[in-house]
Amino acid sequence: MDRRYTILAILLIVAAFGLVILPGGKNSKELTPKELLLSINEQARFVSTDQVTERIIERDPSLQLIDVRPANEFAVYALPGAINIPLDSIASPGSRELLSSGSRDKVFYSNGDIESDLAWQICARNKYQRVFVMKGGLNYWYETIVKGVEPSTTASSDALELYKFRVAARQFFLGSKTEDQNLDQKNAVSKTKTIKLEKKPQAGTGGGC
Amino acid sequence: MVGPLIPMGVIPEAWDNVFAVMLGMGFGFVLEASGFSSSRKIIGTFFGYDFVVLKVFFTAAITCMLGLLYFSYLGWIDYSMLYIQPTFITSAIVGGVVMGIGFSMGGYCPGTSFAALAIGKLDALTFTGGMFIGVFLFSEAFPIFEKMYNSGNLGGMLVTDSLGISTGLFAFLLVVAAVGMFWGATWVERKVKKVEY
Repeated sequence: MDRRYTILAILLIVAAFGLVILPGGKNSKELTPKELLLSINEQARFVSTDQVTERIIERDPSLQLIDVRPANEFAVYALPGAINIPLDSIASPGSRELLSSGSRDKVFYSNGDIESDLAWQICARNKYQRVFVMKGGLNYWYETIVKGVEPSTTASSDALELYKFRVAARQFFLGSKTEDQNLDQKNAVSKTKTIKLEKKPQAGTGGGC
Repeated sequence: MVGPLIPMGVIPEAWDNVFAVMLGMGFGFVLEASGFSSSRKIIGTFFGYDFVVLKVFFTAAITCMLGLLYFSYLGWIDYSMLYIQPTFITSAIVGGVVMGIGFSMGGYCPGTSFAALAIGKLDALTFTGGMFIGVFLFSEAFPIFEKMYNSGNLGGMLVTDSLGISTGLFAFLLVVAAVGMFWGATWVERKVKKVEY
């Protein structure tokens, strides 16, 4: 073999051997504990129930709601378009493809904040992008959107506008039923609107020679 | 360009197609300059008189791999943001066999056939014409192949994940295997009778 090629081959092998003996890279796939703590203090991960409601009504294709409650609770009621990934399955290989995809905003919700925030922490630690938590969870969603307390007449115009939006949203989700009938109505809404998590083949970029 | 410059917002997404054209022209130029516009050079891999295809593509792969891994180590590239093409194992095997047969019969792969067509080779014109007929037939008959086409989806799987070894060790083994292959290919080239073309 030509001497130049011999030298190049030796250089390649030495460079590759360097990768074997180097300690773990600075750019690990996971956040360090310090980075994770800093990101937990950030409030940017929270989206309000009103923001989520607006995007559901607009049928925003970039929104992916993820219900982290157990499957039996999901079967009873879930937000329209939501998929169910229980908290104990968030780190499973089957969920990784969906959660690591950067093409949609993934919004976690549970009954309150705690479980959805834990799901967010697992994703944040794995550096998954566009992951959010619905602030207050389903309980707060019910309080604000379904029940919704009318503000006083002296409230700010913003508060009155928000209330109008909530009333309109309530009609979208529950029709024109009274509040007492709402609970019964909820099951019917959930059963027709929820979808199952299916692994679809991705249309990726082409390659080759 | 899938990443990482566009997803990170370093370059606006509108430049995507401009980069695609520039990279395509560069790729075509390198293919032509390396002699890949000759079907006899490419077919030499199968007859053992010219292994330049094997050497060029393996050199490109290992150089790129080492560059990416060192850049990732130094924190210049976020390795996790790179797009990993999902593995459809059944269609990969079937497609590989079809591609291999076409490669050995025609002496071109899709990229090299366009490089050869660009300099006016008639055999490349025939090859690319056949390729379009093949694409048309496949598209028309897609419902027949659809099940096989989508089967065996392993997701964005990496060799290192399935073997459970570190990326560095895999890179080292691949470089050693490539260098061994270069040495073996050169040895075969010396033994096989030279072909003038």
